[in-house]
Amino acid sequence: MFKHLVDGIFWDIALWVFTIGVLWRILSIFLVGNKKDLSVARTTGMTGAIAANISRFFPRSEMQSRTRLHVIAGYMFHLGLFALLFFAAPHILFVESQTGLSWPAMPYWAFIVTAQLAFVGLLLLWIHRVMDPVTRLISSADDHVGSILTFIVMLTGCMALLEGFEGLRVLHRFTVELLMVYFPFSRLMHAFMFIPSRAFTGAWFGRRGVKA
Amino acid sequence: MAAMKFYCDAERCIECNGCVTACKNENEVPWGVNRRRVVTIKDGEPGERSLSVACMHCSDAPCAAVCPVDCFYTTDDGIVLHDKDICIGCGYCFYACPFGAPQFPKEGAFASRGKMDKCTFCAGGPLPDNSSEEYRKYGANRIAEGKLPACAEMCATKALLAGDADMVADIYRKRMVNRASAALGKGFQLREQNIGSGVDLKGKVTN
Amino acid sequence: MSDKKQSRIRRHRKVAYSLLSLLVLTLVLPLIPYAVAEKDETAGKVFNPGTELWRDVRQRDRDVIGTTQMKSVDAGVLINEYGETWRHFRMQQLVPYGAALMGIVLSIILLFYLLRGPLRLQEEPSGKKIERFTVFERTVHWFTVAIFWLLALTGLILLYGRFVLIPILGADGFGITASACKEAHNLFGPTFLVALVLLFLTFVKDNIYARGDMLWLLKGGGMLGGGHVSAGRFNAGEKIWFWIAIIGGLVLSVTGLILVFSILGQSREIMGLSHVLHGIVALVVISVSFGHIYLGTAGVEGTLGSMTTGYVDEAWAKSHHDRWYAEVKAAEDGSDKIVDEPGLATEGKS
Repeated sequence: MFKHLVDGIFWDIALWVFTIGVLWRILSIFLVGNKKDLSVARTTGMTGAIAANISRFFPRSEMQSRTRLHVIAGYMFHLGLFALLFFAAPHILFVESQTGLSWPAMPYWAFIVTAQLAFVGLLLLWIHRVMDPVTRLISSADDHVGSILTFIVMLTGCMALLEGFEGLRVLHRFTVELLMVYFPFSRLMHAFMFIPSRAFTGAWFGRRGVKA
Repeated sequence: MAAMKFYCDAERCIECNGCVTACKNENEVPWGVNRRRVVTIKDGEPGERSLSVACMHCSDAPCAAVCPVDCFYTTDDGIVLHDKDICIGCGYCFYACPFGAPQFPKEGAFASRGKMDKCTFCAGGPLPDNSSEEYRKYGANRIAEGKLPACAEMCATKALLAGDADMVADIYRKRMVNRASAALGKGFQLREQNIGSGVDLKGKVTN
Repeated sequence: MSDKKQSRIRRHRKVAYSLLSLLVLTLVLPLIPYAVAEKDETAGKVFNPGTELWRDVRQRDRDVIGTTQMKSVDAGVLINEYGETWRHFRMQQLVPYGAALMGIVLSIILLFYLLRGPLRLQEEPSGKKIERFTVFERTVHWFTVAIFWLLALTGLILLYGRFVLIPILGADGFGITASACKEAHNLFGPTFLVALVLLFLTFVKDNIYARGDMLWLLKGGGMLGGGHVSAGRFNAGEKIWFWIAIIGGLVLSVTGLILVFSILGQSREIMGLSHVLHGIVALVVISVSFGHIYLGTAGVEGTLGSMTTGYVDEAWAKSHHDRWYAEVKAAEDGSDKIVDEPGLATEGKS
């Protein structure tokens, strides 16, 4: 019963909400448009956009010691999650069953190791967010819900690793659907927006000849 | 209520591995998993003997005792089976079994995927008899067809006996009596017939 | 007369001697073949058909590994004697004694709380806060807590689920729970090693034996006799817990890895022994952690704040860790480290 809902109508709803929501969010940001730039352009802005996109991958040297945990745990989590999402064999099989597209998967041991890296990163980052008075102050409910939802999705995924119980697969898929519905209305949108927003900032300052 | 048992007659087993092949073929056991194996003791030495071993379908099965999810059960025929829909593949039965019968799944780098596999006495599993689902998970259900396990039926020397414990014991008892009387009839002592030992009275190797 | 008498005596003596020698010969002669036969040992032994074979199969007085075509682990061993020992340990010892241990520890804590109540501060809270744990220290602590309890709960479910959860969930339902727990336990296991390394590096410098620790222990930490005992940043009890967690955690990690990587070719005996160690150490560490949790929350007034906000009251520091308080005061006299509002404090290191 629940299985049919999760595999059927819930999945359809989640997919539509996710797709339309994400497109709507991206479009609404782009359609706002830019303020007219009255300053004399020093460069085209493209260099600034690219430079900002690259420089944001590294912590500023002044901040290196203070943000060591964020950088290490951040990369562990994001790279781990990316690899899990796109290169885990069960996920590829699922995509293939839905769309017919397929690509090579990670070996099973790499799958497990990336899951562990992602878990360590996520737990460290979220606990640090709660423990540090500054980040605690600037975190809203959205940040915590996003973190916890992602953790639950990953946890149910790892619980279904045996691939032997239908109930666990359904549970994982259900939590994924919850995340997909929540995704467009939250800061999780940074997964799509981090490149455009870095580019915007970089170009905006770059045109004025300022390194962002 | 019968009690199904295997017995391997070490005087007859010629280590042909026919039972292993029969089992793999009949049950389509996955790669790397062997429900039955033939072990040779003193290979190439005097007194070499071989025994074919699989699940012995214990009356007080250690695997059933230690299973954390209690997925083992004993059928009315005294056959010990496990429910793969409940099994979590933890391997505790493998640690506890004296005979090394339960097999770890071989899939996955940490061998954590899949369920344990073991000899079913060719009795399938808890699913409907001879359904395709049952065959996929547990292999053949010859007992439901009124047949004995493929390994024993296939044994060329009739070393491997399978069936009700009383009948197996009867057959083996007759064999022992025949062996003893054949030896005595020729006027030799049992040990001079080289039964159970490759050493004669004077301590010389006879074969 | 004398001749006749003497010859009679001689004759009697001859008869007596011959009778005696005959007696000796009848007793000794049959023994001669035994004495001679001892020289050829193999010929003396009687081989029972099958006995030798079954002695080898049962591994009675020697380890006999047969040969086989199978490539799996221990395939050549016909009967694994350790299996029954392991079964006895797990079902008759680990399960009941482990439950008893946890039950007893919990009862003692409850009894202690009811009889003695929480440890109060010696003086009124001053309202002045002092930093006890930095953000990084707290992050490492709660990171370890999260992984430890994920592993402890899934492990306990696997150990006791058959007796506690199957009657509630049924065998099919519990199969799902147990599978989820096993996979989570296996996947999170190695990450505990990461937590352990972080925990060790963060806290080891203050957990080395120092003068006064023995005195603290002898006085029972002031829990029984009343009155507070002098201590540094960590008292002897906290240090013991630290080392139990580190060493216990290390044993758990190593034995756990042996059990997880079941395809590396370790024998059943090694895995069984690993399981024995894993089970005992896990139950001991869990039981001790109950005490740690009690003392960190309800047991000692004002302690929980040190791990949540990172700050404790000066009165708390003075009564429980007077020497650490003196150190902090001496090192940062007049500095801005001590603040009234923990929420506004920025951490020193991260």
